[in-house]
Amino acid sequence: MAAIEDLIGELSKLPGIGRKTATRLTYFLLKQPPEAGRRLARALDAVATRVGPCSVCGNLGETDPCVICEDTRRDRSTVCVVEEASDIGAIERTGEYRGVYHVLGGHLSPLDGIGPDDLRLDGLRARLSNGSSVREVIVATNPSMEGEVTATYVRGIVEAQSVRVTRIALGLPVGGDLEYADNVTIARALAARREME
Amino acid sequence: MRLTQLTIRTFRNIAALDIELPAEGVVVIGENGEGKTNLLEAIYYLVLFRSLRGAKDRELVRFGDASFFIAGEGPRRVAVGYEIAGRRKKVTVDRVEMKKLADGVGRLTAVAFAPSDRTIVAGGPTGRRRYLDIVLALSEPGYLAALSAMRQALRQRNAALRNGHGDAARAFDAPFAAAAGTVARARRRWVAASAARFQDLCTTLGEAGTCSLLYAPDHHREDDTAGHIEAALRRTFARDTRRGMTTVGPHRDDLRLSLDGRDQRTYGSAGQQRTAAVALRLLEAESLAAAEGSPPVALYDDVFAELDRGRQERLLALIRETLPGQAVVVAPRESEVPRDLLGMPRWTMRGGTLDRP
Repeated sequence: MAAIEDLIGELSKLPGIGRKTATRLTYFLLKQPPEAGRRLARALDAVATRVGPCSVCGNLGETDPCVICEDTRRDRSTVCVVEEASDIGAIERTGEYRGVYHVLGGHLSPLDGIGPDDLRLDGLRARLSNGSSVREVIVATNPSMEGEVTATYVRGIVEAQSVRVTRIALGLPVGGDLEYADNVTIARALAARREME
Repeated sequence: MRLTQLTIRTFRNIAALDIELPAEGVVVIGENGEGKTNLLEAIYYLVLFRSLRGAKDRELVRFGDASFFIAGEGPRRVAVGYEIAGRRKKVTVDRVEMKKLADGVGRLTAVAFAPSDRTIVAGGPTGRRRYLDIVLALSEPGYLAALSAMRQALRQRNAALRNGHGDAARAFDAPFAAAAGTVARARRRWVAASAARFQDLCTTLGEAGTCSLLYAPDHHREDDTAGHIEAALRRTFARDTRRGMTTVGPHRDDLRLSLDGRDQRTYGSAGQQRTAAVALRLLEAESLAAAEGSPPVALYDDVFAELDRGRQERLLALIRETLPGQAVVVAPRESEVPRDLLGMPRWTMRGGTLDRP
């Protein structure tokens, strides 16, 4: 019984999973052939032992530096700053960006005890300081209040190094319906309107 | 606005209620503790999704039950359910779930008159800010969003100040000031536009003196721009750091009510404060009516008994003029309902259930 309880306890620590779901998942695994459970255990073990943050950008991967930082075809003069390593995947899927990244590891949120010292800002400063080839920093933190505040903070750091800083645009989702967009988004899209080309 | 149907499940002492509301409204008679105020609270819950009496959501669930549900059919169908276990509140408008509660706020509008309204005048500034916030959230587009943003920035800034992270606290100055500016400008505009009408209403209700309504912003001066508020934040930064909280901003505003130049809060008699409170509610109703294009549903919780004959009649005349829509009047005895209103259908409430003839 202790083994079952252990697994339920561990699973219920995951985000979005309560005790009930953890129990259901545990019993589901118990009904599978033993190999299924072992495969899951091996995958978890591999992630825990082999994956770590890139010492340059903070991206998660099995090599250090990560595959993006190592890739010589990428444009190292442009750095895109994101909150989490998972945001890199979202930008990579567009296939539109050829620069490199910098992962902050979150956003400023004093309510959650996260101050500037808890973000990878020193690493960013180091990447931009003397002799750096970086010409532009794109700030792609989330469009939440905390994300905006973090963006402003990052801007201060980048400007101190006399590097150009830009912010990704905010507005209506493509293929969306104006009628169903929320008021704040529409207001910001209006404020950020531009000449038609 | 007219509410045609109301459904209540396990809310306070009401187990289940399905009623059709008459167009003109209804008078509900019941002894204290039978559930009359609960009925009004349930209707008003559809406006803000919060208790009229400041109770916590779980306290609204009927004793021994796990959740409550309220739905009202008006120009739109607004429904809200709350579950104690998940502390989950779900709001739907025309059966579409709202992603944020705020998106459902004010789809149905009502104004609630209660004897406790006197505390708006007699109590601290918190109650008056709450009054302003409710009126503006329901009548001014964008106000509620700005107010939530201001509160969120304030919580973050205060947390940073408490933890001694000056840098992080200052980073929240800009979003706080931007939202605070919107809030302060809306409050100032509304007060300026309403002061004369407030005097009118008080006079009509029988007040002989000069009744004034004044916006008393915490940041002083006639300047509610984000830039001015940011400058104020910079000036008070040392003090804020010492106290571990933000000591300047609209979260400390007041709405000053005075009678012949003297503060109503300290110098007003109980009767004068009551008159001012009724005038504020009528003002609220007029603002909502102007924003919506039709008067809100009026909810009267035993408010007539407190007024003398003369004031009662003057109030009724005002109601006919400014709140000609639907009314739900509750009182413990018929004798406490003005005769004029007794022409409406009369129901009785006992133990959370309604008896309709």
